[in-house]
Amino acid sequence: MELKYGLISADDHVQEHPEVWTLRMSKQKWGDRIPHIERQPDGNDLWVMGGQKIKSSGLAAAGGVLSDRTQEPKRWEDVPPMVYNARERLKAMDANGVDYSVLYPTIAGLAAETFGKLDDPDLELACVQAYNDWLIEEWATVSPRLVPQCIVPIWPMEHAVAEIRRAVARGHKGVIYPASPMELRDVPHINEPVYDPLWATCEDLGVPLCFHSGASPKIQLQPGASFSPAVAAAFGGVVRSVSSIAVVANFLFSRVLYRFPKLKVVFAESSLGWGAYEIEYADYQSDADGLQSEGYPLKPSELFQRQCYFTCWYDRRSLKVRRYLGTANILWATNFPLATSTWPNSRQHIELSFGDIPEDEKRQMLWGNAARLYSL
Amino acid sequence: MEIKYGLISSDSHGQLGKDAYTSRMSRAKWGDRIPHVIEIRDEKFQFPVERWTVNGEIQGGNVCNCPTAMEKRSYYPQRWEEVPLEVYDPVNRLKALDRDRVDAEVLFPNGPGGTFFYGDAEFELACVRAYNDALAEFRQVSDRFIPLSAIPFMSSIEIIVAEVERAVKAGHNGINMLGDPSVAAKGLKNLSDPFWYPLWEACQQLGVGVHLHASAGLAGKLSLPQWKGYTRRQSHCVSTLRNFCTATQIISYLIFSGVLDRFPRLNWVFAETGLGWVSSVLEACDHEWEKRHLWTEGILTRPSALFRRQVYVDFWFETVGIQLRDYIGVDNMLWESDFPHITSTYPNSWNAVEHSLAGVPAEDREKVLFRNAARLYKLN
Repeated sequence: MELKYGLISADDHVQEHPEVWTLRMSKQKWGDRIPHIERQPDGNDLWVMGGQKIKSSGLAAAGGVLSDRTQEPKRWEDVPPMVYNARERLKAMDANGVDYSVLYPTIAGLAAETFGKLDDPDLELACVQAYNDWLIEEWATVSPRLVPQCIVPIWPMEHAVAEIRRAVARGHKGVIYPASPMELRDVPHINEPVYDPLWATCEDLGVPLCFHSGASPKIQLQPGASFSPAVAAAFGGVVRSVSSIAVVANFLFSRVLYRFPKLKVVFAESSLGWGAYEIEYADYQSDADGLQSEGYPLKPSELFQRQCYFTCWYDRRSLKVRRYLGTANILWATNFPLATSTWPNSRQHIELSFGDIPEDEKRQMLWGNAARLYSL
Repeated sequence: MEIKYGLISSDSHGQLGKDAYTSRMSRAKWGDRIPHVIEIRDEKFQFPVERWTVNGEIQGGNVCNCPTAMEKRSYYPQRWEEVPLEVYDPVNRLKALDRDRVDAEVLFPNGPGGTFFYGDAEFELACVRAYNDALAEFRQVSDRFIPLSAIPFMSSIEIIVAEVERAVKAGHNGINMLGDPSVAAKGLKNLSDPFWYPLWEACQQLGVGVHLHASAGLAGKLSLPQWKGYTRRQSHCVSTLRNFCTATQIISYLIFSGVLDRFPRLNWVFAETGLGWVSSVLEACDHEWEKRHLWTEGILTRPSALFRRQVYVDFWFETVGIQLRDYIGVDNMLWESDFPHITSTYPNSWNAVEHSLAGVPAEDREKVLFRNAARLYKLN
């Protein structure tokens, strides 16, 4: 691994371009169910599958690199290449002084939830594989600075496990799985033992399992009718991150971490402040409820520090209470190219956030923890 | 009110007596629909148990949620005679306050009393009036009790406002609101809807705050589906822990709704939600506000400034939020005991206080322990 700037962003997003799926999926077999872009009568472009709009996103999420962050591109020709082209992306990283970037999807869902909603597991698998292949072929092979993470068919488990093994063999370094699959379609609750092969495979391959925020729109309060689109988007940005509170609460008590002690779990786009509180609260409440009597050998905080990671991007104050999470459990990120991103001024944000933190801890959070976690 | 101990609980739960509703509602008109206690069989117990019933529907797995007031902590009474007087009788309850060295407490509901959604606005209103009258009696016994009015959500806004005015006159010092009425019950409006403006106006005029407790009615509606494989203890841990997920969202919602600027003297209190998360939510709101230039979109005041002007948050066990107090706003923080629920610090609240506030200067200590509450509730 070569570090020029001393920064690894543990949570960025690639924008899928118009041919990610059309070039890789059989037209004969899937017809217009292949994810593709269609121009609408109003002149705007939209992603569609089988005549249905792909609901999780608009055309592209690039607010962070547009001059007006309240807008998103409406037509493909307006989408800046640095969001979908690997070489351009490297330039954007250089402009911001970032060495490595860990990649999450956009159209496949910020939390990789899009294809989990399909009722056809074969179609789901075909879409997932096309995305995973694209990320290797057009990103990872361009530069080791672009760290690919695979997405997964949520069900059945044989599909999930086989695809993880295939993707990791091709070079993927992390696994993104939506945290609440049972809300996407009729599959068992994520705590059920039928998911054990998922945890076991990630543990076995030594790749982190990543839950990105936004996996369950139902957890999120909807904006009011009176909210303007920009205000609604701002509100959405805040509640997408805090929606992980419920995911973390479930995971701290589900026993998955006990049963798979080498499994590493990343809660991406979570932010630290509520995390510190949630960990302290979990310790207090498990004590008040007497959970020790039900065989919990470790406190939630100990379990968290052994196996879990939070990401931060602009948190300033929250770093003051980092000890509740553990300095070794915090990953820095830019969230490029979402509207919330600190790009291209991440350095200034770091000055503000990390100014009075000792060098060794700073190194851990800004690149050391991520380098170890992703074996860079 | 005299401050003797220097500690006010901004979130406790006032239990009404078993005759609170039957003695106040017309038997001829409502019959067995009136909230009351009945004896039933429950296969989990060897003996006949008692439960509250409202509109003919049996409530919960106990007759009173008061485990910390019991000799054996964590036991939930199954028969009314097991419920300590200190939980539902105001004169005796003062003794519990003295035992815990607490000066005063804000009373949220316990047992039937939060909402009465049974598809019948007239029945709901009758229940709410009985609840508000019965709880006001606590205040008539002592000014150490600070009751919060229930709301007849299904009524017209005129009836709602009239009931709140009536309740405040009787001694109530705030209203107990739902986080998003439109999610909690069909046909109701969300918090940003102009439907509620007359209520916000009335509360602002009356000088009483709007209170939201824990998940504020959204538990189970705005959350991951709960796993059926959890034991009762695990399940309780998970569901209490995630309650603050709702508060983070409602505060953001309020900030972005414009309601705080429209009613700039109206206070909002978030109970049993903790503090530690607040600075990161305010930071997130400020961050989005800056990145998206929301002052051009009608949100004129910076989110964190709106919060400091009008919003209060409670804590009980924690240290995280105390360390972040300068970023949250030390004038916006209130202590709570949550008596008599399982998470409560009772009867050793001062131990919890010392744990949370170790090393905090006297001025800040006094603010969060009682001065902020005394100012908010005008306790003089």
